[in-house]
Amino acid sequence: MADETVIKSDLAFVKRLQECGGESLKKCYQCATCSVVCNISPDDKPYPRKEMLMAQWGLKDQIVRDPDIWACHYCGDCTAYCPRGANPGEVLGAMRQATIEHYSFPSQLARMVSQPKFLPVLLALPVLVILFVMKVVGTLGNIPAGTVKYSNMVPLLAIDAIFMAAAGFAVFVFVNGVRRYWKDLNADVSPWKVKLSDKSVVSATIEVLKEFIVHKRFKECVTNYARATSHLLLVLGFIALAITTAWSAYYEWASKFGLIPHKESPFSITEPIKWVALVGTVLLLYGIYLIYQQRQAKANGAGFGGYFDWLLIWVIVAVGVTGALSWILRLANLASLAYPMYFIHLVSVFFLFFYAPYTKMAHLVYRTTALVFAKMQGRE
Amino acid sequence: MEERKYGVYICQGCGIGEAVKFEGLEKAARKNGKIPHIKSHPILCSPEGLEFLKGDMAAEGINCAVICACSPRVKYEEFDLPGALIERVNIRELVAWTHEPMAEETQLLAEDYVVMGCAKIKKADLPEGVPVEIERAILVIGGGVTGLTAALEAANLGQQVVLVEKEAELGGLGAGLFQQTPRKYPYQELEVPVVFSKIKEVLTNPKIKVLTKSEVVMIDGQPGLYDVTIKTDGKEDIYKIGAVILAAGAKPYDATKLGHLGYGKSDDVVTNWELEKIAADGKILRPSNGKPAEKVVFIQCAGSVDPDHLPYCSAFCCGTSLKQAKYVRTMNPDSLAYIIYKNMRTLGQNELFYKHAQNDPGILLTKGDVTGVEVADDGSLAVIAENTLLGEKIKLEADLVVLATGLVPATLDNPVLNLNYRQGPGLPDLELFQGFADSNFICFQYETRRTGIYAAGAVRQPMDMATAMEDAAGAALKAYQCLEHTAKGIAVHPRAWDQTFPDPFMQRCTACKRCTEECPFGAIEEDEKGTPFYKINRCRRCGTCMGACPERIVSFKDFSVDIVGSMVKAMDVPEEGTRIVAFVCENDAYPAIDAAALNRLQLHPAVRFIPVRCLGSFNLVWIADALSRGIDGILIMGCKYGDDYQCHFAKGSELANYRMGKLQETLDRLALEAERAQFMEVAISDFDKIPKMIEDFVVRVEEIGPNPYKEF
Repeated sequence: MADETVIKSDLAFVKRLQECGGESLKKCYQCATCSVVCNISPDDKPYPRKEMLMAQWGLKDQIVRDPDIWACHYCGDCTAYCPRGANPGEVLGAMRQATIEHYSFPSQLARMVSQPKFLPVLLALPVLVILFVMKVVGTLGNIPAGTVKYSNMVPLLAIDAIFMAAAGFAVFVFVNGVRRYWKDLNADVSPWKVKLSDKSVVSATIEVLKEFIVHKRFKECVTNYARATSHLLLVLGFIALAITTAWSAYYEWASKFGLIPHKESPFSITEPIKWVALVGTVLLLYGIYLIYQQRQAKANGAGFGGYFDWLLIWVIVAVGVTGALSWILRLANLASLAYPMYFIHLVSVFFLFFYAPYTKMAHLVYRTTALVFAKMQGRE
Repeated sequence: MEERKYGVYICQGCGIGEAVKFEGLEKAARKNGKIPHIKSHPILCSPEGLEFLKGDMAAEGINCAVICACSPRVKYEEFDLPGALIERVNIRELVAWTHEPMAEETQLLAEDYVVMGCAKIKKADLPEGVPVEIERAILVIGGGVTGLTAALEAANLGQQVVLVEKEAELGGLGAGLFQQTPRKYPYQELEVPVVFSKIKEVLTNPKIKVLTKSEVVMIDGQPGLYDVTIKTDGKEDIYKIGAVILAAGAKPYDATKLGHLGYGKSDDVVTNWELEKIAADGKILRPSNGKPAEKVVFIQCAGSVDPDHLPYCSAFCCGTSLKQAKYVRTMNPDSLAYIIYKNMRTLGQNELFYKHAQNDPGILLTKGDVTGVEVADDGSLAVIAENTLLGEKIKLEADLVVLATGLVPATLDNPVLNLNYRQGPGLPDLELFQGFADSNFICFQYETRRTGIYAAGAVRQPMDMATAMEDAAGAALKAYQCLEHTAKGIAVHPRAWDQTFPDPFMQRCTACKRCTEECPFGAIEEDEKGTPFYKINRCRRCGTCMGACPERIVSFKDFSVDIVGSMVKAMDVPEEGTRIVAFVCENDAYPAIDAAALNRLQLHPAVRFIPVRCLGSFNLVWIADALSRGIDGILIMGCKYGDDYQCHFAKGSELANYRMGKLQETLDRLALEAERAQFMEVAISDFDKIPKMIEDFVVRVEEIGPNPYKEF
């Protein structure tokens, strides 16, 4: 008698999933066409059929602990072929959003991020922080004179402080979330627990990262195949810009401690760091442009996506566009335009970092964790 | 018929002229058929052809015409000549379309058919229906939704209706419902049960006499002339009735037998019927403590599709559970309703209602096998199920469990009709249908084994209310057909055109009662001396009595033992060459051969087909006739028999096969091989297999060797 799974249905969770984009989840009648059509789903206990049933039954505990929802890369093949229009792709997306809400503390903040009406409030935080810093350094209210130099508006040290704090906050929330997630993954809740092998964390992580770099799973999608390219470009763009930031920080601090000759931003276009920055910017902008375009084109087949998806897209667009424009306006020396543009750029970058654990950006951490766990279990 | 004058008319159209020579057919008709007047026409069924035919018959005074053309199953309006005796000989499907054109065998075959047609027409007579004075009232047994609808439909057709209901109130099971599944687009809103408006309509209809607290004690007589004894409140009355609609309905399966699903173990395990009563209070409350139910589990197929209980599906329960799940959710928006099903079956248009119920976030469905219902010490329930869509064995906590139980028909343990028939008070052989008053006739579903009695609604088959109302309309129309035909003195169904009736030569009757026992419809009774007599309105003119009678005393005006025997004896049997006669039933086997012909499949030229009404009419003397003629083999082709019978007269085919079994001994005494006579079950869908079946039989007969009596 003890081998039965006790069912605990959460009606409120069913409704939450419907709000997060899974409004058609009740249409599924378990024909399993989605599981058959999915190219990346394994043969043994495939997804997304069982996830659709879990969603209908409001089995919150099992859903948030199911690594399969992160193994899904939203190819959209399942949605395209579903005979009832139950949209399993979007439902799994809704589950990922609900999982992020569950693990990223505090969940009230996560809820706010997922609702458009709170966007002004969320934006207010970075705006007020930066305005406050400008007030403190005395640059609030007047445009700095002379050649455009952004550190005249907000000193580098202030930048370091603000963004280290934002990043630090994000990391703290992630660590907290992943610890709880890892613990839950290892608990014996799901009837679909598959344990085929016992790989170590390290070797599993290395394998997962290798797959990420070549975007192996993205290439197996049919409906959303184009995303294998666009997402990769975006990722490479981020990596390039991360390198740029680290490099720039190195210049700043190494020169402060006298390790290298003084080097300070802005950097001229002849500098290698600038090439990396420009390449990164182009990749990011082109990547996000393709993603934006593909979503519009594939809306009928794979689904358009909800506020949660588009929020991240727009934030990345903002980061990329304002960053590029800031650079251009600086070169054109149009101070009255350049400084406000830079302000918006700072706000958007802060938004990206600080709210990363609550926006779709969190997939970076949770998906990696889930796939590492799955690899350790020997589950493809 | 007054003075008879014969004529043979041969059509040359549809390939007949290209397959056989007219001169040969003319010679055969004149010499062997003994009919001197023979004419032909290129297209006999055309307006010009018919003008020619009618003109020629009028000019020559011909009133008995042998029309050699296409199958008698087609062009019946064209060749319908009132006042004339017409014999249709099929030389299109049976000759021109299935044999090699202008071959010698083909010519001989066509000539044989023409001669056989001439032999038949000489012995046949023109049928005449004898109008009968009948009672035009229709009795409806049962006052539920089916009976009420049938009564209203019959009244709308202009008939008087007597409605009998054994309870004090009309309405049956339908009146016990809180709400009803939707009957109109978009199939989402639950409705007020339709039965209440039907009751009002019936009570205010002047043509319907309603008798409640009443039961049928006895039905005596025959269609059009029934004397029905009805007991109302202890007092008996006799009503004169023309036709009967059996709408006695069904009752819920006894849930005390479902202890393995928790019934009886807890007050909170109820049946779907009991839940309707609970819902009528407006709130779903647990019977044990009166608290609102938060988690309700519906177990479908409770004691249904189960060899230990009811082996069949009761059709209405899945739709009802969806409806009741909606009750639960509407009355308590925080509640959950789980439905565990073996199959989700939603009849008619209810697929849309199913989708609507599925869309409710609190209605949770899964396929599964319920292995048990546990009751905890605090009274809470748990349902254990395996093979679910969730992967493994699950345990569902519940505070109310609803068992979706099925229906058993009123006729399961009660004859209901109480017919005063020698063959018994109820409908025969209902074990084939688990007690339901059903038949294998998907085309004629309301007909029962008793002419004049039509079954409708849940007593006939498990069904939902929407289907039951349609059923009632169908049965009312059948009852009307019965009255109309009986009044004209013609057969009711399936030979709805037939004006003949069985006419026994009683001087030779030995009162063996074989006809009385074997009639599938109980049309023959016996008098005080034990002599059988016909209640002719019950008869369906199949001729099973004709086939059964060892003295061969039964005959119809255009179909008798002598008529068919004469056709067999008219066949030309040459000294060299195989000859086979096949008796083919007109219901499935003959249409199958026509279908084979339509597809131009080729048949073996040794076989001559003789159509009979039903294989039940097959008389063993025809085998003796055939064998003594020197015919090498005899085929009997007809509909399937057995539990899954397709025989249009229920028992005919089975009886023919049974009689063939008796043949063994006789043939052995004649030193003839029993294999020369073979029974073949043929369905109309087997048309493509017929050439091979016949070929195989001819080969077998040829292996046995020619009939030694050929030379005589």
